[in-house]
Amino acid sequence: MNENRFAAAFKQNAIWLVFIIEIAIFAYFNPKFLSLPNIINISRQVSYYGIASIGMTFVILIAGIDLSIASIVVLVNVVCAYLMMNMGWNMWFAIIVSIVMATLIGVLNGFMVSTIGIPAIIATFASQTIFRGLAYILSGGLPIPDVLRYAPEAGLNGNPTLAFFARWTLNHWSIFPRTGVGLIPVCAIIMVICFAVGSFILNKSYFGRYFYAIGGNEEASELSGIRVSKMKYLIYALSGFFAGLAGIIVLSRTGSAQASSLVGFEFEVITCVVLGGVSVAGGIGHMSGVIAGVLIIGSLKSGMVMMNVSEYTQMVVQGLVLAIAVGFDCFSKKRQAS
Amino acid sequence: MYEINGEYSGYYSEIDPKKRLVILDSLPEAGAADFAREVYNDRYSDHESKGRENIDWWLWRCICLQILYGRGNFLRRFRDKEIAGIIGELRLNDTDESHRQHLYHEYRNVCRRYLSTCKGGSYASRFMGFKQASDEEKVLKACEDVWQMSAGVARKTGNTEAMKLWVEAFRDELFAYDDICREEYTRLQEGK
Repeated sequence: MNENRFAAAFKQNAIWLVFIIEIAIFAYFNPKFLSLPNIINISRQVSYYGIASIGMTFVILIAGIDLSIASIVVLVNVVCAYLMMNMGWNMWFAIIVSIVMATLIGVLNGFMVSTIGIPAIIATFASQTIFRGLAYILSGGLPIPDVLRYAPEAGLNGNPTLAFFARWTLNHWSIFPRTGVGLIPVCAIIMVICFAVGSFILNKSYFGRYFYAIGGNEEASELSGIRVSKMKYLIYALSGFFAGLAGIIVLSRTGSAQASSLVGFEFEVITCVVLGGVSVAGGIGHMSGVIAGVLIIGSLKSGMVMMNVSEYTQMVVQGLVLAIAVGFDCFSKKRQAS
Repeated sequence: MYEINGEYSGYYSEIDPKKRLVILDSLPEAGAADFAREVYNDRYSDHESKGRENIDWWLWRCICLQILYGRGNFLRRFRDKEIAGIIGELRLNDTDESHRQHLYHEYRNVCRRYLSTCKGGSYASRFMGFKQASDEEKVLKACEDVWQMSAGVARKTGNTEAMKLWVEAFRDELFAYDDICREEYTRLQEGK
């Protein structure tokens, strides 16, 4: 019995072992990999992956998928920058409007999947195309630059309370990724808070229980009293919300909004989630595994950059990681069934 | 061991709550029917008071048991507390023999209702619903689900004795579901 318990615990936490081995390999080849500046840099890099992966976890748990998150992130980038730079909106107001818009895009995805009955992969692919196109239209296909430099004047000027708050937490908007509490970047703190919220939703709230139930057996969930259709709306809305939040982090990090950026971001997020043990068949997965998945991908990207691996090779490696993660999930399901 | 009076067999074999109520109303009042009605009201009422209709609370609790089976041992105390609550809700603490006889059939009815959902197109599908499962794959998945929500969770959480009636009822209903279930159940029990 103890042996079984140990085996189960090992199986559940094996992903963390993979992470440790990965760290050890990169540290062996480049001792600077474990230097404090690099660790801080990785935490900044993974923050927007991490935040977006929370919503994706919910969606994959119900055996769905959201291919629109990259477009949502880009649109939030462009809209937020446009509102501040071209329309002179207050920074906080622009952020809130952008995130609400992202959430509404999620609701639209929920409508297409749940009410119309379009398969999730098709519905969210359509959203991806639509909203990437809208981002191009809004920006005229050109980058909106210098958001970091211009935003404080546009958004905070004349409002001492906001300006003080922004200086303290954000150092005039740009500080999201650039400073933090002590050594920890603010964007990493936001990611940790989001993971805590995501973990609470999955483990402690009835909503989380519903996500697992719908992913495990949708019909039984419906019969037991869960309003499956409404829950799908909620899940896609949450995915949109977290993608929107990730979009704000990206904007504050890059300082410019570009409609052509983040191509393939959704697949990187899916890789993080599936690598973290969330089954593409739905109903199985934990937030702790997703955190490990995010850290593995973040470390992999950083490690490869430090080892001067070319960008194209990085793409090949990331694709292989996704294939292996999904393949492993399918293989273990098949082995269970045979 | 849990043989039931002929007039109740129709009630316990029916899985539609509305049809069950009609049958229940036709049964002679007092005695066993009172207990069956009490259980019926308990099972199909909204314990969360969310104003929902068409609730099957016991079916929900059986899904919860399967989810709890999948939980790790982290925060085990919360899991065990919830299991204890479910055991109480499912009246597994009831020691009255005639009550346990009826409960056994009610549990089988819960399992039968769950199994009735294991034939749909989306059940046990793979790749975000793109690849539908074969009939055999669905049966095997149903076996695994039923085992996890009964014997699996009881064993994992150390409630084998407290959940004995529940486990027996689910096992017997599963064996009646398909020929390959017995073999699959044994395999799961042995942890292969």
